[in-house]
Amino acid sequence: MVFNSIEYLIFLPLVVVLYYLIPHRHRWILLLTASCVFYMWFVPKYILILLVTIIIDYSAGLLMERDADSPKKKKRWMVISITSTLLVLFIFKYLGFLNDSVVALCQSLGLNVNTSVKLILPIGLSFHTFQSMSYVIEVYRGNQKAERHFGYYALYVMFFPQLVTGPIERPGNLLRQLHEEKSFNENNLARGLRLILFGFFIKMVVADNLGGYVDEVYAHPEEYNSWSVWLAMVFYSFQIYGDFFGYSTIALGSALLMGYEISDNFRSPYLSKNIAEFWHRWHISLSTWFRDYVYIPMGGSRVKFGRWMYNILVVFVLSGIWHGANWTFLFWGFAHGLLHIIEKALRSSFGKQEPSGIPSHSKFIQGLLNLLGVVRTFLLVTLFWVMFRSTDFANMKAMFTAAFSQFDGGRQLVIDPKLWLFLGLFMLSDIILRGRRFDSWCEDKPVLLRWSICALMVFLTIVFSSVNNFPFIYFQF
Amino acid sequence: MKKLLIHITVIAALLVLMNWIYTQWFYRDDLLEHSDLVVSSWQVAADSCELVYLGESSNKTYGYKDKDKRKISEMIAEQLPGVRCGDITQDAAHAEVYYYLLKNIPKGNQIHTVVVTMNLRSFGANWIYSSLETALQKKLVLMKGYPPLMKRALLAFKAYPIHTKDEWGQKAQDSWTKTPLCFPYPFPYKTTREWNRAIAYEGVKDSLGNRDQAMTELTSHFIKNYAFQIRDDNPRVKDFDRIVKLAEKRGWKLVFNILAENTDRAQELVGDDLLFLMRENVEYLVKRYEARGVTVVNNLEAVRDIEFIDRSWPTEHYYETGRKIIASEVAERIRN
Repeated sequence: MVFNSIEYLIFLPLVVVLYYLIPHRHRWILLLTASCVFYMWFVPKYILILLVTIIIDYSAGLLMERDADSPKKKKRWMVISITSTLLVLFIFKYLGFLNDSVVALCQSLGLNVNTSVKLILPIGLSFHTFQSMSYVIEVYRGNQKAERHFGYYALYVMFFPQLVTGPIERPGNLLRQLHEEKSFNENNLARGLRLILFGFFIKMVVADNLGGYVDEVYAHPEEYNSWSVWLAMVFYSFQIYGDFFGYSTIALGSALLMGYEISDNFRSPYLSKNIAEFWHRWHISLSTWFRDYVYIPMGGSRVKFGRWMYNILVVFVLSGIWHGANWTFLFWGFAHGLLHIIEKALRSSFGKQEPSGIPSHSKFIQGLLNLLGVVRTFLLVTLFWVMFRSTDFANMKAMFTAAFSQFDGGRQLVIDPKLWLFLGLFMLSDIILRGRRFDSWCEDKPVLLRWSICALMVFLTIVFSSVNNFPFIYFQF
Repeated sequence: MKKLLIHITVIAALLVLMNWIYTQWFYRDDLLEHSDLVVSSWQVAADSCELVYLGESSNKTYGYKDKDKRKISEMIAEQLPGVRCGDITQDAAHAEVYYYLLKNIPKGNQIHTVVVTMNLRSFGANWIYSSLETALQKKLVLMKGYPPLMKRALLAFKAYPIHTKDEWGQKAQDSWTKTPLCFPYPFPYKTTREWNRAIAYEGVKDSLGNRDQAMTELTSHFIKNYAFQIRDDNPRVKDFDRIVKLAEKRGWKLVFNILAENTDRAQELVGDDLLFLMRENVEYLVKRYEARGVTVVNNLEAVRDIEFIDRSWPTEHYYETGRKIIASEVAERIRN
């Protein structure tokens, strides 16, 4: 089931009402059943894959706790659990890609190899496998007690608001909350509804309306002039942000209706002054996952310069590959890693020096430099998104070629003027919120303003939503 | 409790206000952009038509050799002098589309007769689960009978079946697998799927006894398009029932035009068993709707093979003579 569907508009209120009607001890059954229904709405049989990973990781947690006195055994259970979870991920997400790459390599060497692996990627596989792994690692590290109740553990992995697209939760936050008794809270209800409304506006009005133009140009970049191609590239930056941010916000709101606070995934990423800051603000739950479970165990930054560079590149390449089984994603991750290293190297060389002639207290100059940093980071991220969005290297090449060599010829993208208004509202909201959540920003506003904003969002969402179907971009991951 | 009631009242008032704003300034543009079909419904009323013909591609398709390229509806009009005729033609349309087209004809018009095309194939799984359905159903959302703002919300939240071509195909396959075929005599295949698989396996042979792939595929198309039995729960039957009720309400004389199918080819390629099903289905429709006061024109076997344009796919696209035959039959029944 997708959030921006009529089914979800019926499903969610039904679950919330039932949730508060039944006693706490039975709520896990309701939420687990609801989560199964939510997931099975896509392809029912794939719930079996989820079940397999849940059973393995639940058992591993208990076994690690049982063998807490034997580090060797404990580690063995962790390795078995992580390996099997990664194996599931590999089979469904990467086996086809690996097969195609090997076939292409063999064919380029003149060998006649023609095998094919066609498996449909279960929706949200990368998200729930990572969430499952974080539980196993936390139990192994002793930060989390193993969950004894199978139902609660299954619910931790399957909690429907964040099941298919995250945020990737940690057991310390979500599993703990699932055990807590939540009573009806009017304030949570209002905040949750506001978040859902805001999410719908961002996803359905901004992102989906941009999507049409982006798809058009990416399908035939050679037909458009460079200005249009650049416009499509910028539009994609906002489309993917609006799409993911909107969806995450609906997830946050949906969970909050039942009293659950799940993690923020975005904090105005396009206001970042450098790539490092961007990654602290974009898809935060994934960035922190890689930081805590890959980067720091590899030594983080407390190693020699060469090794540190290697650590950064590994994390970014893994992050790229996490997104999708395609060379374009790997390339995208590598480019971000490389830029991250260059920026850090430059900052460590020049960062401590004051620009000559500029007084350190000049707020104007500092503001200007910050603005330049924001623009530069946005442009670089936008260029990198081309690798992410392109279907393959040929498409990427065509986009870059068109962006830099067709200033005089080609078609001009004709934009509906309303789109600028929606985009402007989105950018304005990002600047106003500056990392705050929409629900908390609303709280201290006068009632009339609050209601007016919400009414406007309802109207804009209903009247100006794209009528075309744009599946959530991160579903494919 | 008081606070809750105030909230509900404010929300209701806001929704009414939004609906008014939307209806005043945005609804018409949305209709024209996303449900352009509705323009045809408005047009027949604006043109003061007395007879409206609803059809799909069969109405407007003509052959390259045709001297007379007119639509079936125009040929009918020629035979009904003094009656102002109009048509609403939409590719791949079926009874549900016709229902909403008729529903959207403004009241206070001069229409007294409505001719609705009844395409036998549209009752089968191949058409019910056609990949064109997603686009058609999307067009219908704004034509339904809810307040305009609600219809726009339904469109925004995609309250219509969204499936890929493969998914639609799978639905058709499921229907062919699960729906039994009942003959009053022994028949070797229990379902359409079994029948189709047997044909695909055995293949159609040419004069030299070799497998003729093109003919095998055509035979398979005939089976997939006509090997079904119409029952009361068929979605198209329900739609035609709604059309009958609507016509009664609006005081229209209703004519169902059962289109001619290429029965010659069906018999030649598949045999009498398929023809039996086709005739049985038409009998069902004639009986059902004549009992409800509808004039049903049965053209099933009125047109010969030579008059069908498409040779590699069963359609209701006729050359000039074929269209004239259909038009004459319909005009004749309207006159009487």
